Amino acid sequence: MDIISQLQEQLNLIASLAFNTIGTLQRDAPPVRLSPNYPEPPASANPTEETANFAEQPKLMSAALVKAAKQFDALVSALPISEGGEEAQLKRIAELQAENDVIGQELQKQLEAAENELKHVQELFSQASDNCLNLKKPD
Amino acid sequence: MATATYPPPPPYYRLYKDYLQNPKSAPEPLPPIEGTYICFGGNYTTDDVLPSLEEQGVRQLYPTGPNIDYKKELRSLNKELQLHILELADVLVERPSQYARRVEDISLIFKNLHHLLNSLRPHQARATLIHILELQIQRRKQAVEDIKRRREEAQKLLKESLTTLEEH
Repeated sequence: MDIISQLQEQLNLIASLAFNTIGTLQRDAPPVRLSPNYPEPPASANPTEETANFAEQPKLMSAALVKAAKQFDALVSALPISEGGEEAQLKRIAELQAENDVIGQELQKQLEAAENELKHVQELFSQASDNCLNLKKPD
Repeated sequence: MATATYPPPPPYYRLYKDYLQNPKSAPEPLPPIEGTYICFGGNYTTDDVLPSLEEQGVRQLYPTGPNIDYKKELRSLNKELQLHILELADVLVERPSQYARRVEDISLIFKNLHHLLNSLRPHQARATLIHILELQIQRRKQAVEDIKRRREEAQKLLKESLTTLEEH
């Protein structure tokens, strides 16, 4: 896949990681105490297992997010953009077109000369073979 | 259950009744459309250009100018994006009701990033064209060399055959 499509895919990946991270953490976060007036929130059924899994998730997901961002930076540095911009490219295209035309004409000339020579050789060959056939008497 | 029949063919087929006998008796096809046209109720344009961000009503975060340093802008927008995601997580912890502004900022950054990447496509197209032209020039040079070599070989063969014929 070309580099720009890879960059676009990486960007979409970062977006999906971001909203998965925020959404998962928001959905699975344990209830928290809002103000001293309200009582503590009730403890859930299996407190230890959930909290253990839950403490790892932010670390894993944020590590994935940072990795994806670093990958994006690496792809950006791999962009083969030369300085000069549009005018330099257009100038180079004009130069290449001129060179292409010159070589095209030379190719055409060589081709015509080669076809002429081929015609000559074919004529001479047919004359020579006619002479051969006429000189050889069947015995 | 009612089903609709296909629409009839356009009625100007009658103009082409004698086309086989006299190709000039029937009207010529119309020239291609330019500008905007309507197709199945939607407006399309024949001018394929990437609309700028202001036209889409999106604020532009990177500086405009004739030549944009794409790598630098992409990297700085990436950093901004990470910072904003972190801010969103912070806001959800402290003041959860103010998430909307942060989410808007994040989507703005994403739109800018995608627009930057899309504006790289014409550059890529020109670079592809340059590459194709270079390949073509190389192939043509190779063909010229080949033809020259073959012609010289043929001349050499003819001269040799001439000398062998003269010997006999």
